[in-house]
Amino acid sequence: MNKIATIAWREFIETVRTRTFVFTSIFMPMLMLGLIFGSEWIADVAAKQKDPPRNVAVMDEAGGAAAVFEESVATWNEGNPSQQFVMKPVAVGASDEENQAKEDEAKRQVLEGDLYGFVRIPAAALDPDAQFACKLIRKDSGIEQFRALNNMIQRSVEAARFASADPPLDRERIERLQKDVPVLEVDAASDEVATDRMARFMTPFAFMFMLFLATLNISQGLLTSVIEEKSSRVVEVLLSAVSPTQLMAGKILGMVMVGALLLVIWSSVGYFGAEARNMSQVVTPFRLTYMALYFVPGFLLMSALLAGVGSACNTLKDAQSMAFPLTMLTIFPMMLWWVISMRPQSTLSVALSFIPPITPFVMILRICADPDTPMWQIIATLALLWASVFVAVWAAGRVFRIGVLMYGKPPTPRELLRWIRMA
Amino acid sequence: MLFRGTLATLDARHWTRPCEVWENGVDVALRLDGVTKRYGSFLAVDHFSVEAPTGRILGFLGPNGAGKTSSIRMIMSIMYPDAGRIEVLGHDRALAVKDRIGYLPEERGLYRKMTVEATLRYFGKLKGMSAARIRERVPKLLADVDLTAWSKKPVESLSKGMQQKLQFISTILHEPELVILDEPFSGLDPINMDLLQKLMLDLRNQGVTVVFSTHQMENAQRLCDRLVLINRGRKLIDGSMEQIRAQFSERIVTINGEGDFAALADLPGVQSSQIVEGHARLEVGDSVDPNELAQGAMRHIRLSSFEVQRPSLHEIFVKLVHSDRGQPAGEEAAA
Repeated sequence: MNKIATIAWREFIETVRTRTFVFTSIFMPMLMLGLIFGSEWIADVAAKQKDPPRNVAVMDEAGGAAAVFEESVATWNEGNPSQQFVMKPVAVGASDEENQAKEDEAKRQVLEGDLYGFVRIPAAALDPDAQFACKLIRKDSGIEQFRALNNMIQRSVEAARFASADPPLDRERIERLQKDVPVLEVDAASDEVATDRMARFMTPFAFMFMLFLATLNISQGLLTSVIEEKSSRVVEVLLSAVSPTQLMAGKILGMVMVGALLLVIWSSVGYFGAEARNMSQVVTPFRLTYMALYFVPGFLLMSALLAGVGSACNTLKDAQSMAFPLTMLTIFPMMLWWVISMRPQSTLSVALSFIPPITPFVMILRICADPDTPMWQIIATLALLWASVFVAVWAAGRVFRIGVLMYGKPPTPRELLRWIRMA
Repeated sequence: MLFRGTLATLDARHWTRPCEVWENGVDVALRLDGVTKRYGSFLAVDHFSVEAPTGRILGFLGPNGAGKTSSIRMIMSIMYPDAGRIEVLGHDRALAVKDRIGYLPEERGLYRKMTVEATLRYFGKLKGMSAARIRERVPKLLADVDLTAWSKKPVESLSKGMQQKLQFISTILHEPELVILDEPFSGLDPINMDLLQKLMLDLRNQGVTVVFSTHQMENAQRLCDRLVLINRGRKLIDGSMEQIRAQFSERIVTINGEGDFAALADLPGVQSSQIVEGHARLEVGDSVDPNELAQGAMRHIRLSSFEVQRPSLHEIFVKLVHSDRGQPAGEEAAA
């Protein structure tokens, strides 16, 4: 046991000292925080920058829409002092040809930059059942500006329809009655008002992604370290002091310690970050507990499999191609996270929970998305996971014993099976 | 060198004999009994038996691929024999006594980024040494091999020779009772080779049993109390240098001079010969009287020198290996 601890400690220290670890443990959370707070800050800065006013020419063939359009522009300008619009009414011509000529002229002005946009509201717009489209001609593709103008067009056409109705309808009254109904979303567990819906929605994914990064990153580290020891021939010296099983156990234990440290760092950043932003209902001790519960067996399973693969190969390239199916399998929950977190109790989600290498990722998604995941499923998946850990450690230990001293061509899957049987 | 004649037809099996207790009252540190190992259809070690007396140096000699490394790995419990028994320091498996054995594998390996001192500390700990003992031993051993100035440097900054010395002291750091060295001299320069030989003799003088494999005869001849020659996984011969030589009745006669050297090959008692202009190297049976041989030679040539020698270990080795292969000796020696 002492020897396992000695190996584990060396593995831990040597890994924690590497640049990759420093990068993933410190820069990754900084990057995440940077994305959360930084994007807001950048958006703030961007919003404060004052753009020159945008001239929008409006030709109202329906009649009655232009006035409301102007009102809407005024309302918008009040709320967005850095993004002002100026409305330029265009008189409607006597014929379609004349109107078309006006549109062409406006298009030219848009291209030349004299106008930001040109809006043409056809007469047919008054009839809700008519086949028609309002036109918005512009050069750039700013979404915010499109939304603003689109809204103004909607409101002004609606107003024109109200006015032309028989008998006419009181637009202001209707608008007052249509005012937004506020909905307060309260988290049942923490009794706190949810402020950031998007953050809550993304949480299951964030938790799974953290688990995924920690597991993959570090078990890949184990793969590399096994191959390095093999290619630098240290392994035989080690085997004169410890048994292959002790060596493998020590290496895996060392890496579990690295993974645990990484998760502690990330969880603390997440926990205190969420506290600081009044989003403590997102990173809860409940979720962190499950994360730890699934991390340990999930990581052990992945490590054992990769240690086996590493010991059988001589180059990182061989090892990566041998581990490719495994890596593909773990990407599966990444691709399906949306489906799983939208419907955590669906048959697909439950079925995916019982595929051992991806169990931790799927279960973390489900538990974070729905705290009512049945306890029997949690117990059953954990039991299955631990059972696979024992099988994998046993098989990997046998492959390790033979593979670690084998040089040359990597074994075929069939040879691997033979190693497991004969070791 | 080209051997001709009857010696090449010797049957190697003739020389294979069971181990005997060769010194009364000496314990055996290592015993292999009928050990056999196969890799698929390839027979790497074939019913190999040998004993290493405690406190002596035993050399495993054999050409590349003879089964030396496989035997050593089985002794170390890194691999397991398919048949036969191994006894190491009185135990069935080296696993039980790993901390009492020092092992230097053929393929050397160290952690490149670790410092010299950290490397020794790590291997010391893995060998079950206490921290205090490690602190005491490391500076002494580093001084022994002249590496004190490098103790804080990473291994990758050391020259190849230095790395070999470091690896050697990491092998004996924990004061093992049995030291097993697989090809310890490969790649060493003459100065480090002398140093290593001195260290090995020091170990023996301290009562440590040393087992090493080599294909360099001079080292084996100089160091070994006992030798075992292996080829194709089988033991060809073992014993002390004298015992092995005594089994070879031939002697080598070297003659220099001028005259008809070709006629020397047909002198009575000559078993094989190598002849070039002005020089002859004759293998003769034990019954041949050197005086008669000299007189016979003088009938054909003018002698400038005449010398009688016992065959060297190298010659015995080459001859045995070739007769074991069932092909004429000489090709390999020439190569």
